Formats: sequence, structure tokens, C-alpha cells
Amino acid sequence: MFPMINIGPLSIQAAGFIMIVSLFIGLWATSYFSKNLGTNGDLIENSILLGLIAGLISARVGFILQNPSALAGNPMAIFSLTPSMLNPGFGIFVGLLAAFIFAQKKHLPLWPSLDTLAPLFLFLFAGIHLSNYAIGNGYGLPTELPWGIQLWNETRHPVNLYALFLVTICFLAMLFHTKVFKTAGFLRSGTLFNLSMGAVGLITLITRAFVSEKSLIGKFDIWQIFGFAILILGIALIYKKSFQDRKHIQVFVSLGSNRDPDKNLPEAVKKLEDFSKIRGMSHIYKSKDVQKESDPSFFYNKVIEIDTRLSFNDLSSRLKSIEVDLGREPGNKVNVPIDLDILTYDDDVFFTQGKQIPDPNLIKYKYIAIPLKELAPDFRHPASGILIEDIINQLKDDHKIQMLKEVENGFEA
Amino acid sequence: MRKRVFTSIVVTVVLLSLSWIILTPTLFPVVQANTDASAVHKGFQAPGFTLQTPEGQSISLSDYEGQPVLVFLWASWCSICKRTMPGLQSVYEEFAPEGFEILAINTSFQDSLTNAASYFESQGYTYTMLLDRDGSLSRDYQLHAVPLSVLVGPEGEVIDVIIGSGMSEAYLRAKLTDIYGERD
Repeated sequence: MFPMINIGPLSIQAAGFIMIVSLFIGLWATSYFSKNLGTNGDLIENSILLGLIAGLISARVGFILQNPSALAGNPMAIFSLTPSMLNPGFGIFVGLLAAFIFAQKKHLPLWPSLDTLAPLFLFLFAGIHLSNYAIGNGYGLPTELPWGIQLWNETRHPVNLYALFLVTICFLAMLFHTKVFKTAGFLRSGTLFNLSMGAVGLITLITRAFVSEKSLIGKFDIWQIFGFAILILGIALIYKKSFQDRKHIQVFVSLGSNRDPDKNLPEAVKKLEDFSKIRGMSHIYKSKDVQKESDPSFFYNKVIEIDTRLSFNDLSSRLKSIEVDLGREPGNKVNVPIDLDILTYDDDVFFTQGKQIPDPNLIKYKYIAIPLKELAPDFRHPASGILIEDIINQLKDDHKIQMLKEVENGFEA
Repeated sequence: MRKRVFTSIVVTVVLLSLSWIILTPTLFPVVQANTDASAVHKGFQAPGFTLQTPEGQSISLSDYEGQPVLVFLWASWCSICKRTMPGLQSVYEEFAPEGFEILAINTSFQDSLTNAASYFESQGYTYTMLLDRDGSLSRDYQLHAVPLSVLVGPEGEVIDVIIGSGMSEAYLRAKLTDIYGERD
């Protein structure tokens, strides 16, 4: 037990200090993770900040509503900075609700954003256990085991350390699986978060058995039941996302060609129709090759929306074979009969076989963003939630791009 | 991961979790015995003590059985203590007629007794000042920093332990309203 931390002449309350430090490290990990996932780090941070402020205010208001007599002597006490006059349950509820509503209003995509928050979530969970250990809260049952700790007149299970140990294992697994926060590590957004949530539920239901002061309903500890419910919720969401058959998956594909585009582009579309339904198509746009400025020839691009039930990997290899069928030679960047790129796959954010989805070029180049806007003006980026119009306004691509009108047997400017 | 592997892992985890929850009451029964043990933590009995006032009168915690008592450890050099104490006085004036007592224990082993006594007198506090001359009470109460506030319930049980400024006027009033409200 170490309720106070002494730094030089300063004495700091350990519990609060540990929570602030874990929030800080967790936020730092989240912002780093967010950059790699392409999610909207600034907005996520703002939602957390808003949630914290709303949570603190409502924790105080909750306490006052519960204990109106507190203000009898001095109504200004509602503004006092003492941490004792808080109702944490109410604060957490309102804080989460406020953050959620704010995120919805700002069109933050739910699952990719939650994936981004997974490290913060684990850090806060660890922080709660470490600060409880510091102040001797949630202490364990008496034990004769050699690793028991002396606390409150008994040798007890160091139950907070058990939880800390287990959550550290989860964190290491997360570091390993995400390649140190480079990718979410799963094909479906939300899996990382749901897995973390399930793990926290599991750790809670395991470690609560050793806690001395239980909150019982009947014979059972309410926190164990709560942990079990969280575990089941996490599993159910993972199952639903990963194994339920999806019949209509919305995919945006970018088509490009610099050799016989008037023949190759329609041909590619026709081949796509063999295994998917075309939902919409943009006009053709003509631009200089963004890779090779000196190349005198032009690239012709369009974006189409398809509806498929193929998995990402299957779809990806079908597109590859269309490219080969139309004479694309791997590695040849000068002569490109057809280039097919998956821009988005449903609303998922992932990294597989060296490919990042949504395609990072979507927020880099006009030849993708502009036809996409024509096709789907309400399109929002699946990771960041940014509207296509705002994506275009933020482009640094200054290549000229020209929309072409299609006529029979070709197109004209 | 294939669906079958996922399902078998999930079924195993869920069944093990359920059995663990069901076995918990048998494997780890809640020990009630420690309610008699004393410790400075919520739910335990407050450690007993007998100390003297500056005038030499002996006072014990057990003298106040049946009444809530605030045990407040302070020092005259501690600015947070001196900011907290006037608030305690106004709550004391309100609840003393009901039997509430504040034992303001000066940590005399690390304070100047003259400074402490003159400060206490000059502020006109009417609650009881006690002296921990040899630091034994501070050890029993695991003093890490002043002020330390331990709110003791009518049955001698610890209701709240707060290090620092948290035992404010408003908070103490809310707690006492709770205690006396339950009695009515």
C-alpha cells in the first residue's frame, strides 16, 4: 500500500496520480494508433475530453442531488475542487453518453474509432487496479499462499496485482497482434475493441473471486456477473461481425487505364458484372499520370460502386485476374491496359496482404476523390468519417483533371 | 480463424467462466470475521486510543460510543489543515447538539506544541484538541500525510478515510446528514 507518492517535497495522492498517468499514456497510445489506422484522432480526442468534462461535472451534480444538505452552509461548495464530493457511477454514465452523442453528431465511425480506443481502454482498466492497490481498496481474501500481501491485519490475496498481471498479458498480446499499433490486426473493424472488452470482462470475473468485500446478489458477486455479461457481449459482437454471412457488401472500385481506355474500361466493367452487381458509375476523368509527370500519355479513371458477397481476398484475386485478362503485365507501369483498386470494402478499416483499406490514395489524389464524389456525394471516409467534399478540399494534389463525356464507341472532352 | 475453432474456444471459455462463477461462493466464501478487526479502512473497526488534551485531560475514542466521531490528524505547519479546520467548526456547531464529536489530534511529535495550541485557541475552535506526543496514534492510523480524516460511525466502524482537503465542510455535512437521517 502506498496512498501517497512523494516526489521531492511534493506529496501526491497516489490513486489520482496513477489514474491521470494512465489516462495520459493511454491517450498517447491512442493518438499514435489513430495515425496508423487513419481514424480521426483529433475528433476522438475531443470526444474523450468532452466526456471527461461532462463526466466530472455530472459526478459532482450527482453527488449534490444525492446529498442536497452538502450545500446548506455554503452553496459555492459546488465548485470546490475536492475529489471526495463525486458520484462516480453517474459521472461515468453521463460522460460516456456525452462522448457518444458528440461522436455521433460529428459522424465519427463507431467501430474503427473504438478500435483506436482499445489501448486506452486497457490502460484505464490497469490504472483502476493499480490505484486500488495503492490505497488498499478492493482488497483480497486472507490466504496462506507465499505471494500473499500484508494488508488490513491479514495476509491477503494481492487481487489487484492478479488483474494487473492478466491485463498486462492482454496488452502484450495486443502489441504483438497489432504490430505495435501499426494495424488493427483484424479484417473487421471493432474486433480489436470487442476482444479487449471480452478480455476485461473475463479478467474481472476471474479476479473478483478473490476479493474480500463482495457485492452479492443472492450468492453471487454482482461484478462477476457484470464481467460475464461483458464477456458474452464481446463474443457475440465478434461472432456477428466475423462469421455472419453478408449478402450485400458495398465496395467502391477505382478503374484506371492509359492504353485503349475506350476499349479496356468498358471491358473491365463487363467482367466485374460477372460476379457483382454494379450499383453506380462515375464519368471518365482524364489526367496526367501522378507517378510519372514526364509521361506524355494520359490516364483515364473512373470509380464504380459494386455490390458483392465475395470476401475481400476473393474479390481482390478476381480483380487481379481481370487485370491479367486485359493484358496487364505485373511491374509494367508505363503500359497499363487496366488497373483495378479496391477503395473501400464495406465500412471496414484493415490491413491485409500489404494492402490498406480504405485505400490511402483516396485521400491523396483527385483522380479517385473527384469521380467518387460525383458517384456518391454523401460518401464519408470509413475510418475518419470525413465527408468526400472535405476530403477533396484537403487534397494536396494539384494535377489537372478533366471529366469526359462518353459517346458511342468512345468519349470526347 | 475458422468458425469451428472460434466456436470451440468460445464454448470452452464460457463454460469455464460459468463454472468459476458458480464455484466462487464455495471456493472463496466471504469471511465475515474481519468486521471485528481494526484497521483504518472503510468497513473495519477504528483503532482505539486514549490521548490527552493540552490541559492534561485523558480522552478515549470509546468515550463516544453510539456517536459519530471525526478523527482529524493535523499539524500547525500544514496549510491544508488550517484551511479545512474552519469548515469543520461550522459543521461541528450544527451537529454537536446531536452528539457528534470532532477529535482534532495534533501530531505533536512532528509539530511545535506552542504553535499548535496558540493557533487552535486563536481560531476559537470549540471541538476537542488532543496531542499525539510520541506518534503512536499516527502509526496506528498509518499516517502518510496530514490532514488525515477518519470518520467513525456510531458503532465504532470506519465510514470514510480521506487524506488531504477532501473532508470539506460540505462533504462532512452530507455524511452526517446521512448518518443522522438513517437514525430518524
